[in-house]
Amino acid sequence: MELMPSFRFHRPTSLAEAVGALTLDPHARLMAGGTDLLPNLRRFLARPGLLVDLTAVEGFGSIQKMADGGMRIGAGLTLDALIENDYVAADWPVLREAALTVAGPTHRVAATVGGNLCQDTRCMFFNQSEWWRASNGYCLKHDGDRCHVVVKSDRCFATYRGDLAPALMVLDAEAEVIGPEGVRRLKVAELFCDSGANHLNLHAGEILVAVIVPAAEGWCAGYDKVRVRAAIDFPIAGVAAAICRRGSRLCALRVAITGCNSAPVQISTAEFDKTDWDTATAEAVATAVRKSAEFRRTSNVSAKYRRHVLHAITVRLVERLWMQGSSLTVR
Amino acid sequence: MKTILSLTLNRRVRDDLVPDNMLLVDYLREVAGLTGTKKGCDGGECGACTVLVDNRPRLACVTLAHQVAGRHVETIEGLANNGGMSRLQKAFHEKLGTQCGFCTPGMIMAAEALLRSNPDPSREEIKAALAGNLCRCTGYVKIIESVEDASRELAQ
Amino acid sequence: MTAHVPKNGKIGIPTPLIDGIEKVTGKAKYVADLPAAGALVGRILRSPVAHGRIISIDVAAAAALDGVIAIATGEDCPVPSGVLPICEDEYPLAREKVRYRGEPVAAVAAIDEETAERALRLIHIEYEILPAYFDARKAMMPGAVAIHDYKPNNVLRECHSEFGDTAAGFSRADLVREKTFRFAEIHHAQIEPNVTLAEYDAVRDALTLYAATQTPYYLHLAVAQCLQIDTSRVRVVKPFLGGGFGARTEALPHDLIAALLARKAKHSVRLCQTREETFISHRGRPETEITLKLGMTREGKLTACHAEVIMRGGAYASYGIITILYTGALLHGIYHIPAIKHDGWRVFTNTAPSGPQRGHGTVDPRAAFEALMNEMAAELRLDEFEVRRANLLSAPCTTMYAQKVLSYGLPECLDKVMKASGWAERRGRMPKGRGLGLGCSHFVSGTSTPKHWTGEPHATVNLKLDFDGGITILTGAADCGQGSNTMVAQVVGEVLGIEEKRMRVVSADSALTPKDNGSYSSRVTFMVGNAALQAAQLLKKMLVEAAAKKLEAPVEEFELSHECLWLPDGRSMPFNEAVQLALVDTGTITVRGTFTCPPEFRGDKNIRGSAIGASMGFSYAAQVVEASVDEITGKVTPHKVWVAVDVGRALNPLAVEGQIQGGVWMGMGQAMTEETAYDEGRMLHANLLEYRVPTMLDSPDIEVFIVESIDPNGPFGAKEASECMLAGFLPALMSAVHEAVGVRPDELPLTPDRLVQLLAARTGA
Repeated sequence: MELMPSFRFHRPTSLAEAVGALTLDPHARLMAGGTDLLPNLRRFLARPGLLVDLTAVEGFGSIQKMADGGMRIGAGLTLDALIENDYVAADWPVLREAALTVAGPTHRVAATVGGNLCQDTRCMFFNQSEWWRASNGYCLKHDGDRCHVVVKSDRCFATYRGDLAPALMVLDAEAEVIGPEGVRRLKVAELFCDSGANHLNLHAGEILVAVIVPAAEGWCAGYDKVRVRAAIDFPIAGVAAAICRRGSRLCALRVAITGCNSAPVQISTAEFDKTDWDTATAEAVATAVRKSAEFRRTSNVSAKYRRHVLHAITVRLVERLWMQGSSLTVR
Repeated sequence: MKTILSLTLNRRVRDDLVPDNMLLVDYLREVAGLTGTKKGCDGGECGACTVLVDNRPRLACVTLAHQVAGRHVETIEGLANNGGMSRLQKAFHEKLGTQCGFCTPGMIMAAEALLRSNPDPSREEIKAALAGNLCRCTGYVKIIESVEDASRELAQ
Repeated sequence: MTAHVPKNGKIGIPTPLIDGIEKVTGKAKYVADLPAAGALVGRILRSPVAHGRIISIDVAAAAALDGVIAIATGEDCPVPSGVLPICEDEYPLAREKVRYRGEPVAAVAAIDEETAERALRLIHIEYEILPAYFDARKAMMPGAVAIHDYKPNNVLRECHSEFGDTAAGFSRADLVREKTFRFAEIHHAQIEPNVTLAEYDAVRDALTLYAATQTPYYLHLAVAQCLQIDTSRVRVVKPFLGGGFGARTEALPHDLIAALLARKAKHSVRLCQTREETFISHRGRPETEITLKLGMTREGKLTACHAEVIMRGGAYASYGIITILYTGALLHGIYHIPAIKHDGWRVFTNTAPSGPQRGHGTVDPRAAFEALMNEMAAELRLDEFEVRRANLLSAPCTTMYAQKVLSYGLPECLDKVMKASGWAERRGRMPKGRGLGLGCSHFVSGTSTPKHWTGEPHATVNLKLDFDGGITILTGAADCGQGSNTMVAQVVGEVLGIEEKRMRVVSADSALTPKDNGSYSSRVTFMVGNAALQAAQLLKKMLVEAAAKKLEAPVEEFELSHECLWLPDGRSMPFNEAVQLALVDTGTITVRGTFTCPPEFRGDKNIRGSAIGASMGFSYAAQVVEASVDEITGKVTPHKVWVAVDVGRALNPLAVEGQIQGGVWMGMGQAMTEETAYDEGRMLHANLLEYRVPTMLDSPDIEVFIVESIDPNGPFGAKEASECMLAGFLPALMSAVHEAVGVRPDELPLTPDRLVQLLAARTGA
């Protein structure tokens, strides 16, 4: 039998029960598909006393179109189901585009929207076996007190590499969170903080329940990602953008990135809103993106290339969306 | 800690006392004795452990046994019927979709899931559906041909 | 000698694997699948340092732990093992020194995984840290600390040779170019992780190993040597094997450790290795730097070649001497080159030991050679096919390195892929960002000198025939998925005119099957195939003699086919009847077929090292790759490969196609995405996420053309069919990329970051 940390497994059928279980055991961890957590547990990257499996919670994987034209996606919806959903394909194709690039097809059958958003940050000094990390004196993120990426740093620089977050961020989506204090809503961007060791703004006992995506009418959104292989790999760099265009006017722009910082980052692009598009716009957007991005030695792929390619795919994506935007009929 | 796990395995209902932290792949191999499902990596990287859970493909090495409680799990051993080979097994054998055979059970199970939901997939659809299953011997060409062959047989 | 001509429809016919049904139904048992109720769990403690002296090992606390049955350290095995007798430098568990991060230092057999792991944590080892070298050039520098005392300069083998007058060759060339190429270290990444099950019979002091190995008999000998146990009390069984590609062609530390633990515990021990540990075992293709100089006339004729090769070999010799010799040996034997000079250094470093990987020692130099040839052709405004045709050998011939080339299908290979790829119409006219490129390559059909020279035949096959009329083929050959079990059955079936159902193949069990050197250097079809052929002919003779006596007909008139013995007059005898007659007075018949490479094929004693690269037959391949480049991301996409391979005769065209596709594709992995990476000797790639084996979505269609030159010495004319095509992909891709975007890569794999750098240098940005 594979050596695993010892834990109890609990499968609540209601959110209240799940929150209760989390509150009782401070070492409890949430799990849905398990595709991110279980490889980490196999490497002893966490030692939960209790594993709370959310997949039996009633309605946790539902998806509904709402009266205001928006959509409520249960955190337990699998990426596969998201990809196959007709509403998503018709009105929020960027979500489908981003979900399709996650890992491999079999991962996507188990992996969930919530799990993809909350997935742990990654680093070549962290995603290693117990023996490997021990021989390297462990690290700030887990079991150790040193960062091997930025020596003498007192924070962890592990990289966030989820694909869905930036796509949801440019759709201005919100996250619904339930906890001992009740339900709260926050922007998806606010779900994260730029800290590799603790990248989620969730309080003890809180569970991400759903994301609410507003109607995207008038917006043209897309996601672009670079990876070495066409499947399985995490993004070397990923960028999502949404453009609202009227004629030659760029009414509004949203851009978010992944694969660089310890959190997905919404880029501040207000300077481009309500401007006339010109040939330099895409370059300028990419420059703004690059300035917000951090490129640390957290993976095998050089920081130099990641910087270059993030810029290049941002230009490509923004130009593509601008062209697509011209044919978009505003209802 | 151990808990009773009830599930359907290859069409038979079972109850076993299973550790909470046991992976599905270890349950299949060590508790149920079905060694056709292989372990090829340290977690979700190669696809050799692919099984079906309620007709969908699942990586048994990044799934806890207790996660599939109450569900129908099918392994490579469950595909053969009446002692014969399933259409995919026959095609993989005849078209040399297998060489060393170690990725084969996972590859066939992933292909089985594909054909159950899409009986007549295009070449691109086959590639997309099997992209999480690594093979080191074939260069994939004959695997794709095997799946195509099985889907043609299904169509007839 | 002339090749036998098949006429029974068993040879040359697409034949599914004889053990394929087990593989597709999940019944095939690999080592980890074997039932071993109550077997102890073995686990290995590995060195956390890259180079250090072991000051002390304290296992007391671990030994006191409940459930720990045995602990082994270097003290338990004072005898080293190695591939060649002159470099037996590796102990299964480190003694005195550790030489790479991850080297086994101690091992535990315990009642379960958890206990074993807890025990490992209780073992305390003190190290004195020594300077470590992760780069061949640094390890070679004067003053570097010696990794092994027996090679104070850290060079395992330095080799220098010159054939012909290279200086004169370069001076008469119209174009001379020299270029340095760098190839990353790669790994076999066979999908089955390493694993060994060791059973120890304490009463008889006998050991049985079920091992995932391509060389069960070398393992048998090494286990006996290291454990100092008589070879007669060792048995090695190789059940189904989940791929090899060269990773498993020697006794690996975990194999020997399993044996040590089992003996010490007096119990069965199962030692399953993780994927990370399988990477740590390494033995893959070394990081290699090649400075290549070629001279060429205006017409494209090669005048001279000089290759300087430096290999970062890792911490132990493994196959290193052979690897570095191959880099020179196979500069010969594909083109006519009047002068060839070779300088090679295989260097010890504090990284996992490298070894033989598919295309052993020849892939990187061949890629460099073909790439430079393509570049020079372009400079001379010659077509890539034209320069190959200007330098073809005329077989039969003997190379300067004493290799005999008796069959040579390269010209036909070139014709096939040129036509199929539409080269004449398309090359030079491809749309922007897309290109075509050509590469050729070759390989040996088995090294004609075994590593352990004993005077035994190079291959032996036994056939057992008994009252039931069933034939049991006994071969030591280790089927690693390439289909050697199927091949021997085809050969026997062809000679005896019988159906596959009548035969069973028992292979790779040292208690049952005749010794075989193993599945490496593409020797099995050629050598074991010939031994099977001889055995089947002997059995045929006995059956025919029995039938001839009964039917009163001359033996030479019998034909065997369709499970009958036939006479020209139409009379026949069913196979089973002939069997019954043949068994009268003798009982069970066992025949033995052998094969030995004659001395004239084993190199020239006057040429040092020429035993390596000597073979009875060489296979040839030509391939055209079509690829495109995304200039924004630097991503290269191979779309299509047309490959033609001269395999002598395709005994099983289905398996040959499969081998060719797999070989081309493995070359693609090396060219595109695969590489190892270290941080101060720590593997950063030791999983299948960071070590990027291409997925189905990354893989091109590979169209195969089989060329049959019918080698005079191969079984039915066959040569090897799984290694020679690998190398050609690399230069073909490099050339396609040049046509697509105008850059000439000199470093592989051609990952997006490397290509972006080249593109930046091109535009001067």
